[in-house]
Amino acid sequence: MKIGIEIHQRLDTTKLFCDCRSALADDAKPDVSIQRRLHPVFSELGEVDQASQTEFAKGKLFKYQVFNSSNCLVETDEEPPKTLNLEALKIALQIAIQLRASPVGEVHIMRKMVIDGSNTAGFQRTAVVAMNGHIGSSKGGIGIPLIAIEEESAGIVSASDSEAVYRLDRLGIPLVEITTTPDIKDGAHLVEVAEKIGMILRTTGKVARGIGTIRQDVNISTEGGARVELKGAQDLKMLPKLVENEEKRQLELVKILTELRSRKAIPVKNQIADVTSIFQSTKAAILSSGLKAGASVLAQKMPAHKGMLGREIQPGKRYGTELSDYAKKAGVKGIIHSDEGMEKYGITKEEESALRKELGMDGDDAFMLVVAQKAQAEAAIGYALERANMDSIPEETRRANPDGTSTFMRPISGKARLYPETDVPPLTIDEELLDSIETGESLEDKKKKLEKMLNKEMAGRIIKSRHLHVFEKLTAAGADPMLVAATLEDTLVSLRREGIEFKEVESTLVEMFAEYKKGSFVKAAIPEVLKGMAKGARVEAVLKVFRLQKITGDALEKIVSECGYDMTKVMQKYRLQADPAEVAAIIKKPKTSSDYV
Amino acid sequence: MYSKKIAAMLKKNTGVGDRVKVLSAGTEFQGTIMPRPLGGDSSILVIKLDNGYNIGIRPESIELLEKSPPKPALPPNGEEKVKGGIAILGCGGTIASKIEYKTGAVYPSITPRELRLAFPALKRWNVHSRRIFSLLSEDMSAYHWRLLADAIEEEIKSGSEGVVVMHGTDTMTYTAAAMSFMLQNLPAPVVFVGAQRSADRPSSENEMNMLNAVFSASQNLGEVAVCMHATTNDDYCHLHRGTRVRKMHTSRRDAFHSIGSQPLFAVDYRTDRFEALAECRKRNDSGLVAKKEMNDNVALIYAHPNIKPKFISKLDDYDGVVLVGTGLGHVPVNAFDDKNVHGIIKPLRELIDSGIPVVMSSQCISGRICLRIYSTGRLLMDAGVIGDGADWTPEAAYVKLCWALGQTKDTKEIEKLMMTDIAGEMTRRSALGEF
Repeated sequence: MKIGIEIHQRLDTTKLFCDCRSALADDAKPDVSIQRRLHPVFSELGEVDQASQTEFAKGKLFKYQVFNSSNCLVETDEEPPKTLNLEALKIALQIAIQLRASPVGEVHIMRKMVIDGSNTAGFQRTAVVAMNGHIGSSKGGIGIPLIAIEEESAGIVSASDSEAVYRLDRLGIPLVEITTTPDIKDGAHLVEVAEKIGMILRTTGKVARGIGTIRQDVNISTEGGARVELKGAQDLKMLPKLVENEEKRQLELVKILTELRSRKAIPVKNQIADVTSIFQSTKAAILSSGLKAGASVLAQKMPAHKGMLGREIQPGKRYGTELSDYAKKAGVKGIIHSDEGMEKYGITKEEESALRKELGMDGDDAFMLVVAQKAQAEAAIGYALERANMDSIPEETRRANPDGTSTFMRPISGKARLYPETDVPPLTIDEELLDSIETGESLEDKKKKLEKMLNKEMAGRIIKSRHLHVFEKLTAAGADPMLVAATLEDTLVSLRREGIEFKEVESTLVEMFAEYKKGSFVKAAIPEVLKGMAKGARVEAVLKVFRLQKITGDALEKIVSECGYDMTKVMQKYRLQADPAEVAAIIKKPKTSSDYV
Repeated sequence: MYSKKIAAMLKKNTGVGDRVKVLSAGTEFQGTIMPRPLGGDSSILVIKLDNGYNIGIRPESIELLEKSPPKPALPPNGEEKVKGGIAILGCGGTIASKIEYKTGAVYPSITPRELRLAFPALKRWNVHSRRIFSLLSEDMSAYHWRLLADAIEEEIKSGSEGVVVMHGTDTMTYTAAAMSFMLQNLPAPVVFVGAQRSADRPSSENEMNMLNAVFSASQNLGEVAVCMHATTNDDYCHLHRGTRVRKMHTSRRDAFHSIGSQPLFAVDYRTDRFEALAECRKRNDSGLVAKKEMNDNVALIYAHPNIKPKFISKLDDYDGVVLVGTGLGHVPVNAFDDKNVHGIIKPLRELIDSGIPVVMSSQCISGRICLRIYSTGRLLMDAGVIGDGADWTPEAAYVKLCWALGQTKDTKEIEKLMMTDIAGEMTRRSALGEF
């Protein structure tokens, strides 16, 4: 098995070709919605790229939601792009240097044809900034042949056969793309490599954080199987499962193919039958609702396919699912096949046997059933048959699902068609530019530094933490490293389990630790203070309202005295307000004679 | 062009398009040599890598691996001799162009075959096409107006049902105004069309504009018009009168606006929508009147604070001057006789007295010239400045003066022609809704 990974990381700068902020509009309503269509562009011979022609032929309408806070005329394709964002380029170069790659002499912005509407221009702008890097790993060196900088695409809102809706707030956010060589050995190794690259990215302190800001595409090819690209894995922990499931899928598909060949079951002839009349008065909701809307029920005999369609190839996914995924290209919801229990759809025994008779089925045969408008249903069965008759495992781009399985998206795209972005001049990377780049600490240096401040275990957690930058900021301001690390890695985690989330971790902690430094409250009160602040209150208000101010001096002495100089008693009652060290000091202090009156 | 150093490294038989091995900073690269884009560092070699990306590198040595295959011959730049139907005339611009993926170069694409490939939906109409010239519109002059007017006249006389002119957008409104004056009493529509997004992008609005233009050229209209996007959406186009239209945005699709009037039509070929928004002249066969003489020796001068009397005096080499004044049509004339003011009334008066007509338009773009309100205007009128009451755009006024000077040398006659509405460049009423 060969595994390679492509990592896409958003940068924390303004957009790549305009001065819009790179923030998502979250729940905001779009300010305006615009409608566009895309069409093919002709090559020098006056001929259109076949792939794009097919896609464009669909004549889809694209609706774009525009957010004034994050969009300008550049994203709406109404103004030429500005020059390449120099700050973003410098971050990409900083990352490249950390990955021991060599910057190119001149950055050339390219247009990569994108025909699904996710870019208003019909292409994505992308450029190579460095090449030939490498990183070490426990199982040998991994090459980084390419480091590119590119625009993020628009986010999909909804899609149907005739139109797709996108939101433009995300379009144009700078991404750094890091590609590895296919030298990764297995799932665990994949996690190690992805984690290491992720850490290197975060050590720059200039990448975006939060959900969706980093995405992994995994390329897997197995012997006897095919090359498959699994897109959009967000959770590193799922990568081994993803690899395992893909390996299993390909293995099972090879077995199914061998079995079908030995049964002489393929190729299957296209023998679509209109069986609507059988289901004229059916109680099966899945069919009757369609029939009411004027749909037809079409069926196709799958000779000698019995038991194959129901064969599991991934957890919860069968060979029938593979065919169904292809059928969906026609815009249907899927297919029903004979290896499924018909009763779950409410199709009666009588209906099923009438169908089998109509199709002239023998004991070893199976069938597929589709309900849709006739032409659409015909196309759906056509696509499913196209898949069923493939003589090898197809090369595919699949979507990585959160449960570690994957879903067919499209055949793997051929070599991307790239041509120069003539609106943006090339940018020379000269000595002056390279000198202006802060290379920053290397991952190794940073690790060493952390190990001096923290114990080894905590240092290991902090370097992987998405809050690494907050840790660095707070400790630089003089906060106790162990306390900051524990707050970030333990307190915040247990608060999250209680359902308490922080919108702005960094600013909350900066405010809290500044107050803590003044001695306004004790260490034990930190979780309670944070709970109060999570609701949006300022730290002073939280201390006052929840009575968390630290008790010191005479007041503390009085309390200690009232508790009979018993440490346990004091701490039981005043754990959140009294500093144990101060209490201990009072208890130890020689008592004045009056104490004994 | 590459530097001498690179040129020296490229052996005699190695050049753009060839596959090479390049050594740069200790690393070996393989790829195809690309042409050097304009500007930038000519000592950097641009190669296309096998993954499709271009990069620039500083070469230490270049070794030829493979010569590029010979370029297939381009299809001939043909011309169709077809009578009737709709004529598509090419003047340049990027409404129809094709891209050479290897280099990224964009070429105009206007052979009939290419047009039909680029816009398959054209098959709905009986069209024929030919190239008149191929220029960026900012490079065009009265010489090209004449070539185009001759071609349009020829097409109409040979029975074309309508004419579509593919034109760059920058000076499209000048050319449209010129055709409006040169070709009067049109029996068929003459529709200008262009694209704000070049045709090398899948998002170019060229296709919709083109098809709507051809559709419009098949309709009942006897005027010169401009067909461009009505909104930022790819939904419908506006058809604007050739003398009233103006490009009002540098880059947006909906840059073209009708000034001081509604667009003539809202157009959508997909739904056969040809909805009248204003009155227009219909097709009629009373005979095309061609008055194609133009005088290109006319200056268009934008008035501004600090404008120097000396600058105006130097305009005496021109045969006519159009001023783009401020507000109602003003330029500094020192009406209050202030010693710190340097007006230009004296040199203007000298120009007019020497027989050079001076015409007024306004920087406000919208609204009427009114020289009777302030003393400045009255001084200008008294000096003989033409234009009181006109609501022409500066461009329409300019083209009209070029045309009027082409028709006669008599200054009285020129003034009369200027103040007569010829092609809708001057309206009689300013409606409230039209701003």
